[in-house]
Amino acid sequence: MSMPSERQTPNAERETPNAKRRVLVTGIGIISPLGPDAVENLNSLLNARDAVSPVTEFDVSKTRCKTAGHVPDAWLADALAPTRAASRLHRSSGMMAMALREAWTSARQPVPELMVIGTTAGGMSYGEIFYRRLLSGNSSRRQFPRLVANYLPQKAVLDAQQACGIRAPSQIIANACSSGSNAIGHAFDLVGRGLHECIACGGYDPLCELVFVGFDSLQAATPEKIRPFDVSRTGLVLGEGAAFLILESERSAASRGATAVAEVAGYGISTDTYHLTQPHPSGIGPRLAMERALASASAEPEEVDYVNGHGTATIFNDATEGIAISELLGQVPVSSTKSMMGHALGAAGAIEAVFSVLALREQFLPPNINFTEPDPSWKFEVVGNEARPAKIRCALSNSFGFGGTNATLVLRAA
Amino acid sequence: MSVFVEGVGAISPVGPNAEQSWAALCHGAEAARAVMPQAMADRAYYCCPVPPKFLSEAARYPRLRRSGTISLLGTAASLDALADASLKQSKELGGRIAIVFAICSGGVKYTRRFYDEIARGGANSASPLLFPETVFNAAASHIAALLGVDGQSYTLVGDSSIGLSAIHFGCQLLEMQPELEHCLVVGTEETDWLLADAFASWKMAEREKRFEVYGKKSGTVFGEGSAAIVLGRNGTIEIANSHAGQSFFSIDDAGEVALQLFPKIAGSERVDLIVASANGTFADEAEQRVFSTAFPTTPVYCPKPAMGESLGASTLFQTVCAVLALRHQKLPGTLQAGWKLASVNREARTIEASRAFVSAIGFNQQVNGLVLGYAK
Repeated sequence: MSMPSERQTPNAERETPNAKRRVLVTGIGIISPLGPDAVENLNSLLNARDAVSPVTEFDVSKTRCKTAGHVPDAWLADALAPTRAASRLHRSSGMMAMALREAWTSARQPVPELMVIGTTAGGMSYGEIFYRRLLSGNSSRRQFPRLVANYLPQKAVLDAQQACGIRAPSQIIANACSSGSNAIGHAFDLVGRGLHECIACGGYDPLCELVFVGFDSLQAATPEKIRPFDVSRTGLVLGEGAAFLILESERSAASRGATAVAEVAGYGISTDTYHLTQPHPSGIGPRLAMERALASASAEPEEVDYVNGHGTATIFNDATEGIAISELLGQVPVSSTKSMMGHALGAAGAIEAVFSVLALREQFLPPNINFTEPDPSWKFEVVGNEARPAKIRCALSNSFGFGGTNATLVLRAA
Repeated sequence: MSVFVEGVGAISPVGPNAEQSWAALCHGAEAARAVMPQAMADRAYYCCPVPPKFLSEAARYPRLRRSGTISLLGTAASLDALADASLKQSKELGGRIAIVFAICSGGVKYTRRFYDEIARGGANSASPLLFPETVFNAAASHIAALLGVDGQSYTLVGDSSIGLSAIHFGCQLLEMQPELEHCLVVGTEETDWLLADAFASWKMAEREKRFEVYGKKSGTVFGEGSAAIVLGRNGTIEIANSHAGQSFFSIDDAGEVALQLFPKIAGSERVDLIVASANGTFADEAEQRVFSTAFPTTPVYCPKPAMGESLGASTLFQTVCAVLALRHQKLPGTLQAGWKLASVNREARTIEASRAFVSAIGFNQQVNGLVLGYAK
């Protein structure tokens, strides 16, 4: 018998890989600027909370943008159990451990065979400290080993696993801002095609100076409020956080007595090679991702009741996503929840997948705050400024990133 | 469903492509060493650089004119692997191939340069030209553009075992998607003083030009380069088994985790050769323990003393070596081999081999293995 995380030819004992199975979401966990858990995040979505505030972690006196969505340190300190394993945790792994623990607990403590995680910056903030200490020239090297270790993206994953008592192989995807959605999408494929029964998947990214200044240097970050899908949008603000979903087959869930909170029904990925940081103006990248996701879900465009858009509020990104949504889906309700908490990069896709699960579970449309006026070139309706009740059976969650990576998830109500 | 190796490619300190690198290794070549430039402190480290002339072909692509070394290296190895698989760049190929890119330290040169400007001159000194190249998936994006891929491109990050995880990921894609014909798996590493000094803080970087494997544990010397394999549905050498990798939570556990994992991955059939990851660090001790216990008579070849430890590229280099060892029925001799492992192959020789094991003890808590074999 092969191990679950192993592939072996030609005698692997499992179902035919090409037979698609339902993939259930049996647990969710999240920490974001909108709250330290799913309950608080739901409350913030329902109340259209603005969690963007001034940056204090590093010097922003020379940047245009001076705000971001923060996870308060107090949330991390309160939630981390005073165990030996937790003593290793730092900000990145701390956020991840909280989200993973919540997802694992809400799924009734499954044994994941694999973890698939997305990140963009990984432990860059530790690399920054390491570099500044090297530059100073007279710094003690005593703390260097830990700084270097924490720079590596997989270290945070291992520390979070250890804190949660979960030991599973991990695959860490760094597809820029679509990483979280790619991680969930790949996990969906693995469970749906019968290669795995239960996977913990999600994304994490802490705020760090390099990325903050990088987006500012591209003039993609705004000194104003973030206004996705608004005709007067001026750019993004960054955020941070972590989110996890437990995906499993019906057979696995039934064997444990676990219940589904939603279903991942489809996944589409595309690569737009027009430019490293700019999407093709036609919107072909997002459109292909959405079309492929719908095909994967065997769903028609008219079945989509809500789109959680990538919606970074940059001129070009929103324009191309807007074209793609308008052409493919028409008058569907759309919101970008980044308006409330900023863009959490590699965590964004996972956070927004959890938001979509909450919308499906609680039957409401999350709001797109700071919204003033729609762009007249688009057909869809922006869910402006306030959440509202709605019948939602099928939702799309879009994530697009540098390098032209585009990912769309299709989620259905349980 | 069987997954085959359809082609292999590389660019290394000892050769501009896989076959020439392999020939050099079989002749006992050792990469030239150079002192890493741009030291930030009074600590010098040697490295095994790729000669710039090896990159001239990749550098002619307009898309790569501002890209980092890591993208140029990855492109060179990718094109070599595609040629070995008899695949030509075309629109049709772009729709039938996925990319899985393995990264460890990422584009460290540009990242360092970008952050250095911020740290020294403030945020308003940051270059918008450099920032996009600091993103982990920049190299994969460039290769996707060159190949016309509009579908799947994944960049995976991890430690020096990441190449084997990437191969496993590629196998998963092919297994799940009948419409996908090929998967290009690429691993790349560029060297930088910062990287070596970081490893030195872990006591894993050697200050001399050479390091011994399975002997004195003095740390490693870094090398750069890239290796690539084209996975697909046709060929003579198949991926008999791959794995997502297993974590260990302390260095002392690495040997124990490997001892549990490697025999399971290798299966019950005989393994005829091992291409190992020994690099002058704790990895050597872990491999010694596993090989002497589970594979006591299997010859072990380790390419790192000849080419340096190339982290994100290293296990793909090892895999390319294993494929070429099976293809040519030859095994190079391991340079600077210590005496703690009796089965280490010390001189180049012909072999009769149909099944090879690739071993990876990653420096940051990952262990992995891969089995290649002639299809039956």
